[in-house]
Amino acid sequence: MTMVSSSMPPEPGMAARAAAWLAMALRASWPFAAFFIGFFLVWEYSVAIFKIPGYILPTPSQIVSNGWADIPRLLDYTLITGAESLIGYLLAICIGVPVGLAIAFWKPLQRTVYPFLVSLEMVPKIAFAPLFIAWLGFGLLPKVIIVVLVCFFPVALNAIHAFGSLSDELTRFCRSTGAGPLRTFWKVRLPAALPQCFVGFKYAALNATVGATIAEFMGSDQGLGFYIQIATGNMRPDLAFAGIFFLTLLGLALFGAVSLAEKLLIPWHITLRRH
Amino acid sequence: MGATIDIRSLTKTFGAGPGAVHAFGPIDLTIESGSFVSLLGPSGCGKSTLMLMIAGLLDATRGDVFFDDAKVDGPRTDIGIMFQDNTLVPWRTVEGNVALQLELRGLDPRDYADRIRDLLRSVKLDGFQHRHPYELSGGMQQRAAFCQALVHEPDTLLFDEPLGKLDAMTRESIRTDLQALWMQKRPTVVFVTHSIEEAVQLSSTVCVVTPRPGRIERRIDIDLPWPRDLEVKASARFTQYVREIQGIFHDYGVL
Ligand SMILES: Nc1ncnc2c1ncn2[C@@H]1O[C@H](COP(=O)(O)OP(=O)(O)O)[C@@H](O)[C@H]1O
Ligand SMILES: [Mg+2]
Repeated sequence: MTMVSSSMPPEPGMAARAAAWLAMALRASWPFAAFFIGFFLVWEYSVAIFKIPGYILPTPSQIVSNGWADIPRLLDYTLITGAESLIGYLLAICIGVPVGLAIAFWKPLQRTVYPFLVSLEMVPKIAFAPLFIAWLGFGLLPKVIIVVLVCFFPVALNAIHAFGSLSDELTRFCRSTGAGPLRTFWKVRLPAALPQCFVGFKYAALNATVGATIAEFMGSDQGLGFYIQIATGNMRPDLAFAGIFFLTLLGLALFGAVSLAEKLLIPWHITLRRH
Repeated sequence: MGATIDIRSLTKTFGAGPGAVHAFGPIDLTIESGSFVSLLGPSGCGKSTLMLMIAGLLDATRGDVFFDDAKVDGPRTDIGIMFQDNTLVPWRTVEGNVALQLELRGLDPRDYADRIRDLLRSVKLDGFQHRHPYELSGGMQQRAAFCQALVHEPDTLLFDEPLGKLDAMTRESIRTDLQALWMQKRPTVVFVTHSIEEAVQLSSTVCVVTPRPGRIERRIDIDLPWPRDLEVKASARFTQYVREIQGIFHDYGVL
C-alpha cells in the first residue's frame, strides 16, 4: 500500500524505466512487504491457535468478509466522515493561513494573539468536542468545527513561522530593489514560505480524520466513528476493524492529496530535500 | 561612472547599555567616483555592517553617508549589491534568479533578454541558464549571484566577500572577470574582503580596517599597472604592498 501510494504515475513511453523502478522498489521494500504480510498471517493463525473468541479479536479474513458484506454502508459512511474531514480541513487552511500571515506581519498581534494561540495550543482541543456537540447538536456543523479546531493550530503556527523567517539577506535584497510589500510578497516571501506552510498542512491532514472520528464518537447517527462505536457496542469488533480500515484509507487519501499538491506546487523543494 | 561616496563620522553601536556592541567608527572616508576600494580586515571588524550602511539598508548610530552629495536615508536602489550569502532563491533557475532583480524593480525581463544572455555568457554560465541553484557548484552559484547583482546596470557596486567561500582557482578566475568589468565600465566599487592579496590585486585603494571597534587604520593607494595579471602579481612591488599590509595587521596583533 505504502509502496504504491508513494509512487508517481509513470510517464507515457517510459515503460522500461517504470519497470526498472518497480524492480528497484520491490528490492528495496521486500523486507517491509514480507513483514506486513507476516504480521497478518500471525494474527490470523494466533486467533485460531489461542482460541480467541471472535467477539474479542476477529481474524483478518473475518474482517474482510464481514466488512465486504456491509460494504454499501461502509462506503456511505466513508463519504460522510470524508466530507466532515475535508470541509473542516479546508476551512482550517482558509482561516489559519491568513491568521498566520497577519501575525507574522503585524507586530501588535505578535504580542497579543500569538502568545494566546501558543497557550491554546497546549489545550487538548479534542476536549472541547462534547461542548460543541451540546451546543450545536448532532449534525455536520459541530464535526466540522471540531476538525477545524484540531487542524487550525498546526496550520496557523507553521504559517506564522513560515512567513516570519525570511533570511536577512533576502529581505535586504528585496529592499535594495525598491520593491513594494506586495511585489516582495508575491515574488519572494510567499514562495519562500510555502515549504514550511506545507509542514503544517501535512500535520493537519493527519489530525483531520482523527478530529472527525472523535466528534462522531461524541454524538452522531452516521459516519465511520459512529459505525465503529456501534459495532463495538454490538460486540462486532470485525465490523469495527472494517470501519478502522476505511478511516485509514481516508487519512491516507487526504495526506496523499496534500503531498501531491506539495509536489506540484513546490517541486523545487522536494528536489532540494533529496540533495 | 559611478557615484562618489562620502562617509562622514559614521558610527554603529548595536544594542544599548552594558550589552552594547560598538561595531565600528567613527569612520571618515571618501570613495572617489570610478575607484575600486577594498575594505580589508579580519572577520568581526564591521565590514559587512559598514557596507549595509552605505547601501542604506541599516541605520547609523551617528554620522552620515552621501552619494554625490545626496544623503543616504533609505535603501539605495541605484546600486548593485552582492551579499555575503548569495541571494539566489531555490525555486528559480539561474536565468529566473537574474530576472528576479528586474521583476522586483517592476521591469520586464523580456526587455533584458539579450543583457541576461550576455551577462551569463561573460561569466561562462551559458548552458546553465535553466538549471536551479542546487544543481550548480559554489563557484557557479556565486557567478550567478554576480549576474543577479549587475543585471540592472548599476554604476555603483558593493561586494561583501563575494569570493570568500570559493576554492583558490575559482576565486582567481572570478577576480579576473571582475577586474575586466571594472576596467571596461569604471563603476565605483566597494569590495569587502579578508584576503590581502585579493585586495591588492583588485583595488585602486585598499582601506585597512582594524577591529574592536572597527576603524580605517590606513588608506593605501595601490600604484600598479592594469590589468593586474599573474605577471603583476609576481612583481616585487606587488609583494611589497602585501608585506606592508601584513605589517599593519601584525602590529595590530591580528597576524
Ligand atoms: N545585528 C547585530 N546585532 C548585534 N551585533 C552585531 C549585529 N551585526 C553585527 N554585529 C557585531 O558587529 C561586529 C561587526 O560585524 P560585521 O559587520 O558582520 O563584521 P565583518 O563583516 O567584518 O565580519 C561583530 O562584532 C558582530 O558581532
Ligand atoms: Mg562580514
